[in-house]
Amino acid sequence: MSVGNAMRRLVPPGSVVLFLMFLTGIWLIISPFAMTTQPSGQPWIASPINTVTIGGVLIVVSLLGILSYMILALRDLMRETQAKQQADQETASS
Amino acid sequence: MPITRPTFGKYLVGMVASLLIFLAGGWLILAPFALGYQPYGADWVSQTTTAFATGIPVAVVALVAFDFFCAALLGALRAAGVLAARPEVQAPAALQQPPGLALVPATAHSDLDRTLSTLAAALVADLSARREAQSDQTDGQSIEQSVTRREA
Repeated sequence: MSVGNAMRRLVPPGSVVLFLMFLTGIWLIISPFAMTTQPSGQPWIASPINTVTIGGVLIVVSLLGILSYMILALRDLMRETQAKQQADQETASS
Repeated sequence: MPITRPTFGKYLVGMVASLLIFLAGGWLILAPFALGYQPYGADWVSQTTTAFATGIPVAVVALVAFDFFCAALLGALRAAGVLAARPEVQAPAALQQPPGLALVPATAHSDLDRTLSTLAAALVADLSARREAQSDQTDGQSIEQSVTRREA
């Protein structure tokens, strides 16, 4: 299997969309300060607390989704490769 | 040959993550009203606008991600033989066949399939006969026009 095929199996379109969600989470954490709804040095109001919390949730969930998919797909790839090697050895020996 | 058991956990992980992000997007839309920093009936404050402008795309894109993972799961289930594979559509090829040939596919066994195939073959024959008649008429008309031009 070529590197391109393997990468396609490890990073499906859904994971690319999850990566977009990861970037959105970063924006949500930055946005109260970038949009100056939360002045620095002042006590936090409800809106920035909520936005930063949701941004953190987005980052964690999207990263977990991407990494979990990648690990499980990698495990499947390794199993397939081992099975193929065993089959090749059996055909070579017989 | 050893058979590797297909695993579907990776798709489920992606679907669960997408659903959680969809819920987070929904909460972003609801939060200004639920947390009370956007009073009912008043003009929207900037936090509400930002939350809406972020929450709606997040929810929509999370649904797209869910759809991608769901489609991948269905594809894997079809490849594993758990679900029946989609039949290939061959309608355009069938229309291009000569009218004399039978259109009954080898896999069609039911009476309804046979009847429909016979009906389709008859329709194709009728259509091709009409096209031939029209082409003959247009050829005849063009010959007549050329003759009248020469006579003129």
